[in-house]
Amino acid sequence: MATVELSLKLQASSGSKIKDFLNANLINILAAFLFLLLAFFLLYPIIAVLLKSFRGPSGFTLQYYQNFFSKNYYYQSLYNTLLLGVINTVVCLVIGFCLAYMTTRGPWILRKPLKIISLVPLIAPPYLFALSLIILFGRNGLITKMFDLHWQLYGFGGVVISQTLAFIPLAYMMIENTLMSLNPNLEESAYDMGASEATILRTITIPLLAPGLLKAALLIFVMTIAEFGNAAILGGRTPFLAPDTYTMITGESDFNMGSVLSVVMIAPCILIFFIHNYLLEGKQFTTIGGKPVASEPRKITPLIQVPFMIITTVAAGAIFVCFAVVFAASFYKILGVTHNIVLSNYLDFTSNQAIYNSIRVSFVAAVIGAIIGVLLAYVIVRGKFFGRTFIEMVSLSGFALPGTVLGIGYLLAFSAPPLKLTGGIMILALNCVFRFLAVGVEAGISKLHQIHIEIEEASADLGASFLTTFYKIVLPIMFPAFIAGFIYTFMTAIVSLSAVVFLVSPGFDLAAVKIFDAAVYGEIGIASATTMKLVLIVMICMLILNFISNKTRLGSSMKKSAAV
Amino acid sequence: MKRKLIAFVVAAIFSVLLAGSAMAEEINAYMGTSPDNNAKIAQFIKDKTGITVNQTFQSFGEIEARMKAEAPNFNADMTIGCGSSTGFLAKKSGWTVPYVSPAWKGVPEVFLDPQGNWYNFSNFSFVLVGNKDRLAKAGYAMPTSWKDLLDPKWKGEILMPSPLSSGTANQMRFSFLALYGDDEGWKFLEALDKNIAYYTRSGNAPTDLVGRGEFMLGLTSDENVKKRLDDGYPLIWTIPKEGTGYDGTFALILKGTKKLDACKKIIDLLGTPEFSELMAAIGYVTPRPAPNALYGKTLPKYIKLDLGKASDDKAKNNDIWKQKLRTDFK
Repeated sequence: MATVELSLKLQASSGSKIKDFLNANLINILAAFLFLLLAFFLLYPIIAVLLKSFRGPSGFTLQYYQNFFSKNYYYQSLYNTLLLGVINTVVCLVIGFCLAYMTTRGPWILRKPLKIISLVPLIAPPYLFALSLIILFGRNGLITKMFDLHWQLYGFGGVVISQTLAFIPLAYMMIENTLMSLNPNLEESAYDMGASEATILRTITIPLLAPGLLKAALLIFVMTIAEFGNAAILGGRTPFLAPDTYTMITGESDFNMGSVLSVVMIAPCILIFFIHNYLLEGKQFTTIGGKPVASEPRKITPLIQVPFMIITTVAAGAIFVCFAVVFAASFYKILGVTHNIVLSNYLDFTSNQAIYNSIRVSFVAAVIGAIIGVLLAYVIVRGKFFGRTFIEMVSLSGFALPGTVLGIGYLLAFSAPPLKLTGGIMILALNCVFRFLAVGVEAGISKLHQIHIEIEEASADLGASFLTTFYKIVLPIMFPAFIAGFIYTFMTAIVSLSAVVFLVSPGFDLAAVKIFDAAVYGEIGIASATTMKLVLIVMICMLILNFISNKTRLGSSMKKSAAV
Repeated sequence: MKRKLIAFVVAAIFSVLLAGSAMAEEINAYMGTSPDNNAKIAQFIKDKTGITVNQTFQSFGEIEARMKAEAPNFNADMTIGCGSSTGFLAKKSGWTVPYVSPAWKGVPEVFLDPQGNWYNFSNFSFVLVGNKDRLAKAGYAMPTSWKDLLDPKWKGEILMPSPLSSGTANQMRFSFLALYGDDEGWKFLEALDKNIAYYTRSGNAPTDLVGRGEFMLGLTSDENVKKRLDDGYPLIWTIPKEGTGYDGTFALILKGTKKLDACKKIIDLLGTPEFSELMAAIGYVTPRPAPNALYGKTLPKYIKLDLGKASDDKAKNNDIWKQKLRTDFK
């Protein structure tokens, strides 16, 4: 037997030897290449931040950390940030769960409108809510004036409210996705056997949801403490780590202290990331396979329905009002002072340019991100090399990295030759690619787990080369994951502020930064109008994407992908 | 087939977006005046020289930080509008391309560096603004002395920019320290802090926030006050009897620029009487005498300042600031 094989091999020409080698090892070469990319664009910037926090003018020093922990100012900032993160996560989960429950289990008539309202804020910058809170509840706000109230919006309370409203959609989206993929049969049989709604919730729905909830919690916590728009606009005197880091870098230009603040901010995130991974070890009982099934509305007992309805109505109402208010404000030259309606806020040319830039960056990031995501998923699932889990961990760690940190990391790592990337579109796009990579990778992994490797093996046995197999078999399977990565990256990149704000350069402003500047500056009209234009344009982009993917008969996977 | 078509379309869009568009003569600049004024200056340069200025709006403090971070590989060709501290620092660190402009002949020495490292195209001060409507409703008069601001009746009603992020605010802080001396100065700032609602990020922000009635009083940069008055904001402004501090608005050519000729043309333009008229019409005090829109003929009373020291002491003062002043703790 062995001799036959040997002679066969000997007969083969040298050209096919290379081919064989490639077929056998291409996946490893690909993995090595992807790992280099990850190391360069994800690990290196973070290491640069870490190094900077320890490197004083005369070598290694702990002085900056000592500074941090010995001064009241920073300590308060850390405490406020963690408190904000915890409160926000809990509130967002509760509201997100209620919303998701109503849109998947509630009355038919409510499902669609609730879903739309819950998802629309995803395409607006998170600090839209700070704007609308100022318009309504500011010291000269509509409601404040109407009832002659005396409250303090600028502080911890204001930040909690705006940040909660901003991250409800994320919570909703993630919980809804897990709820959709839960097989409703379990709950329905429990219901048929006479279990009360509360019992079903307690013993079936929530335990099955646990992994999804945990993941949502992780993501919300990280996003909340990193996204600094609301805290910077409404924080007043209350210090938070993310805006402090921003001021430290952009105002005081103290990169050492800025790095220390970043490291302190990363620490809880990484911790939670590991806890999350540990808890989920071997607990992947969410049903991935099969199509999501919409469950028939059951009769929900008032005891559950009433509080759920109240929470849902309040949350959806608040989101709706905030959007309406910003829309209205975009037509006023000076809100609260003059009362004639103008269009001048919309005709601001510089904001149009910024929006165009944002779309460019997001599109480029989405294409690159989706491709890398799919390839990574493939090598993680199908590869058999050492360090596979490490690559998986690194590529999923984007979930746990505050954007601010990656922004500073890129600034530190890529602002001097030979690696000078700052001052252009590529650094912004690459930053978005590697921050939001996790979604594409995860979607790809779950897709690949559904398809048995035998199909690929069969193809290889029939003589197809690795590339042919990849092109003809793997790519079509992975296409929905590609779309998922594409949409998520596109949507998140276009409204995200926390990292790109460090990387914009003259002549290349982004819409999110532009809106933030206008809001901080107090130009509510311009900020509102730019937000509205951005929302409209992103909506159009999403509709086009939706149209394309429907045309290519990917409708169902698309819906799923949007919610990964 | 369909997939190929999509791939092709995506690739096409991708390359178009990545390529961007290159136009005739353009430079990148860091500009630190307000967005409105940045646009006005850029438009003026475009009209007179045909050069397009790409700019991002940043505060003086942010521009200095960014230049420090990027030096010596700047992402811009020029800085048009930064504080004196940035100008001195740039000269000291050798970040500039010296150019002695013939167009600036006859301008007083405070407005330019003899070696041509920086040009100060306009001075600005900080003023006290109040919201007319809110003041009338409360029955309060505008304060006439800085010390009046310490009255507890203003508690939570005064805004001031944060020196951590705003160069204007650094100038305010330094002016009070110069006016009252270090010890008394810090005592004044601490007492003032009790009445301050919060510290804004940008030096102009109090003008807009007080103008919209969010707060009654604001210590703010004077650069936007005229514009906001014209826009119809119910504002009233004053300079208390002790006087006010000031800072320059500097222009520099940054090392490494590949468009030196365009930069020189712009520096020349900034020295013309026409440009001074433009800036004076906004409310700036300019290198060439021009009718001032905000102050008229009598220029404000200035507190005696050492701008070099203001720039040197900044880090030290920031540190004291963080230790002394109150932050909210939940």
